[in-house]
Amino acid sequence: MSPTPALEVRGLSKTFTGQRALVGVDLELQPGEIRALVGQNGCGKSTMIKVLAGYHDPDPGAEVLVDGQPLALGTAGAGDHAGLRFVHQDLGLVPTLDACDNLAMGHGYERNRMRLISWRREQRLARETLRDLGYDFDVRQPTSHLVISQRTAIALARALSPRSTPPRVLVLDEPTANLPATEIERLFEVVRSVRDRGVAVLFVSHHLDEVFGLCDTVTVLRDGRHVITRPVEGLDEDALIALMIGRTLEDFPAQAETVGEAGEPVLRVRDVHSGVLAGVDLDVRPGEIVGVAGITGSGREEIALALFGGVPRTGTVTVAGREIEEHRPDRAVAAGLALVPAERHANAAFLESTLRENVSIVNPGAFLSRGLLSRRREVSEVTTWLQKLKVRPPHPERALATLSGGNQQKVMLARWMRQKPTVLVLDEPTQGVDVGAKADIHVLVEEAAAQGAAVVIVSTDHSELTRLAERVVVLRNGRVADVLRRPNIDPDRITAATIGQSKGVAA
Amino acid sequence: MRHETGTPGGTRSAGDDTPSGPALDPVVNPTGSGVHLSPAEAANPALEADLAVQPEVEEPGAAKRGFSLGLDRFSGLYVWALLIIVFAIWVPDTFLTVNNATIIAGNEAITAMLALGIIIPLAAGVFDLSFAGVAGLSVAVTAWAQVEGFNPILAAIFAIAVSTLVGAINGFVVVGLKVSSFIATLGMSSLLLAATWWVTDGKQIVSGFSEGFLDLGNTRVLGIPLPFYAMLLLAAVIYILIEYLPVGRYLYASGGNPVAARLAGVRVDRIVFGSLVASSLIAGIAGVVLAARIGTASPDIGPSYLLPAFSAVFLGSTQIKPGRVNVIGTLIAIYLLATGVKGLQLAGAPSYTDDLFNGLALIIAVALAARSARKV
Repeated sequence: MSPTPALEVRGLSKTFTGQRALVGVDLELQPGEIRALVGQNGCGKSTMIKVLAGYHDPDPGAEVLVDGQPLALGTAGAGDHAGLRFVHQDLGLVPTLDACDNLAMGHGYERNRMRLISWRREQRLARETLRDLGYDFDVRQPTSHLVISQRTAIALARALSPRSTPPRVLVLDEPTANLPATEIERLFEVVRSVRDRGVAVLFVSHHLDEVFGLCDTVTVLRDGRHVITRPVEGLDEDALIALMIGRTLEDFPAQAETVGEAGEPVLRVRDVHSGVLAGVDLDVRPGEIVGVAGITGSGREEIALALFGGVPRTGTVTVAGREIEEHRPDRAVAAGLALVPAERHANAAFLESTLRENVSIVNPGAFLSRGLLSRRREVSEVTTWLQKLKVRPPHPERALATLSGGNQQKVMLARWMRQKPTVLVLDEPTQGVDVGAKADIHVLVEEAAAQGAAVVIVSTDHSELTRLAERVVVLRNGRVADVLRRPNIDPDRITAATIGQSKGVAA
Repeated sequence: MRHETGTPGGTRSAGDDTPSGPALDPVVNPTGSGVHLSPAEAANPALEADLAVQPEVEEPGAAKRGFSLGLDRFSGLYVWALLIIVFAIWVPDTFLTVNNATIIAGNEAITAMLALGIIIPLAAGVFDLSFAGVAGLSVAVTAWAQVEGFNPILAAIFAIAVSTLVGAINGFVVVGLKVSSFIATLGMSSLLLAATWWVTDGKQIVSGFSEGFLDLGNTRVLGIPLPFYAMLLLAAVIYILIEYLPVGRYLYASGGNPVAARLAGVRVDRIVFGSLVASSLIAGIAGVVLAARIGTASPDIGPSYLLPAFSAVFLGSTQIKPGRVNVIGTLIAIYLLATGVKGLQLAGAPSYTDDLFNGLALIIAVALAARSARKV
């Protein structure tokens, strides 16, 4: 008779309006097991974590048991009491509060006889909890002042907190994405000691070397389905990649000749450092579409803003010979650089403003006539762009918030297309965009390139890169690790290059 | 409230492991009612208004929304008309007179000028709580300089220069030192009060004003005091600035989403700095006009304008361009409130009615606007 599994998932499906993110997934974790959960972007890993955490409601019929006890699904915090604990990728700490407060969150504070918070006991408890994990630092510092490994330790300590029911299952979602290499090994030590206490660990990571270095068993998801669960032993990296992408990649043929790369680059990037970016070089010529791929933490998230000068960076970026300084997006715009940033709502959209204002915010001065803005000219030009980009509805006086995501993104594109940019940088341009709008946006990007713009498209959607890019630059650990060229670009190869060893020719 | 500028939130991409598609689109709520509501933005029947003027929009529900009893962007005008009719019937002998109309027009000119001034920083997403203190200091400096024997024009220029300097300090503290505008200008208000005490020596300055200067404040053209025309001129200038110059777009963009504005090439820091300088400059001018009108200076003059001006701007943001602080809406709000208060006074209401009416009108109007925004 086998022991009660620490975590048992049966028949888990999740459908988002018309799209099946998870299809009948089963999962079983034994106590004292470290299980890797792997799969390429969009395979359903995140959805699965979110269902377990009670953030998403699964489709009816799913069952989750923790230590043999059924879990109330779709209720945030239900798992916590049952001993199902999470360390999410963003850690979920309050940056202005210190370790004591962050640890007490959700558990309540130690009180003294007067029913007041006993800070002395709180601090001792926090120090002890962290020391158990092998960390020793000032627990009175706001967490925003701590380094990332210390913050990770707090999140981990909270997940393993002795104040609640003992932990049964620990889910780690990309815990190493931002950690330096030395800290990763330290984290692994902690994870192993947690396992040795009989806790089951579900470890989600894109880093295959971590899967091999830490995990006992591995579950592969592909297109929302369970592919295989097996011991890590006996697997190698190529075999695991083949399981993730669903086919074996032949060795790359010799790199294609660098045809179509004649002419002077208009975008020159030299030795750019910013966040995890550690010395990126890149040249893009007029009319060329270059894709940028990379897993989370590879520098993919930073590169678009770093080129634009929107975040602190070092190194040089020039557009047609003009240097783009850091912290001066206005000069980047003047130099002919356009950026459609990721996270439209945070970084690009003026939701309460009209489409007209959203489009003309870059260089409204173009509509001046005799010293005043000509509303008539503005409306007519904006309407032209809205129609050209097939924005529905193409009414310039609508508030942006009333449009669908795809149409909002087209408005963001219209803003920059109107500038006829020399270099167009797109960061996740079809994130949260419906299929029709996505196809429209792809056509627009190709048209922009055909008219001579140098295009850089950063994306986690590898089919999108395959569809558009003549060259895909793959980032790993903040550097250009690989460059794929047509005809050797396909989504699986890009995926393999982002997670695997270098196989192409680094440029 | 001013959002922290700095690293834009987009360095991390959220959709890393999620299938792209409409289901995960953060904009599942096309009505925009899920958007955060700050005081000025709370009133947002704009969407409704847009649909009303564009009947060709093929949206379900658009057709049956032809007429709505909720707050629309001209409701202030209806209410104003209603107030005039009510008081015309109630107290016809005193209310419905030319004299009364000119009194209302003249009395509110200073409040209106100050309210117009703070539209600029509020549009840019920052508070300026110090404008009332600046106006008070400006009155004191104008008076003091004339008592010291300067000619009134020099005195006025000096007062306005001092006010502008205060605005520059506000701008430096907010942009350079990254102090929240609310706190920075609150602190500045206190400093200004101290400065005003120092200039006036804590006393009321009632003599020493040049005669010609005082005449300017009380001359009537077509029966209305000159300050009213000064206010109209100021309103026209700010209206053009906001509606017909690129800087107006930059103001609203900086206030609407500072991160996005910066990434669109707007120099948000400069806009914020400039907006604080502008509101102080205008408060300084209003102070000079106020000095000419009342011919006294004392430390308690300025602060009394703080609440009425803010109320007018916020009430005005439910009108004409709902969800946005704007010039015409602010003027309507000021004169609507003044009409109501004056009518009640003439009908014999006690003196505290003034504040009671202003407060109720503000809360009810913004609450109604928020309600109709939700209904869209």
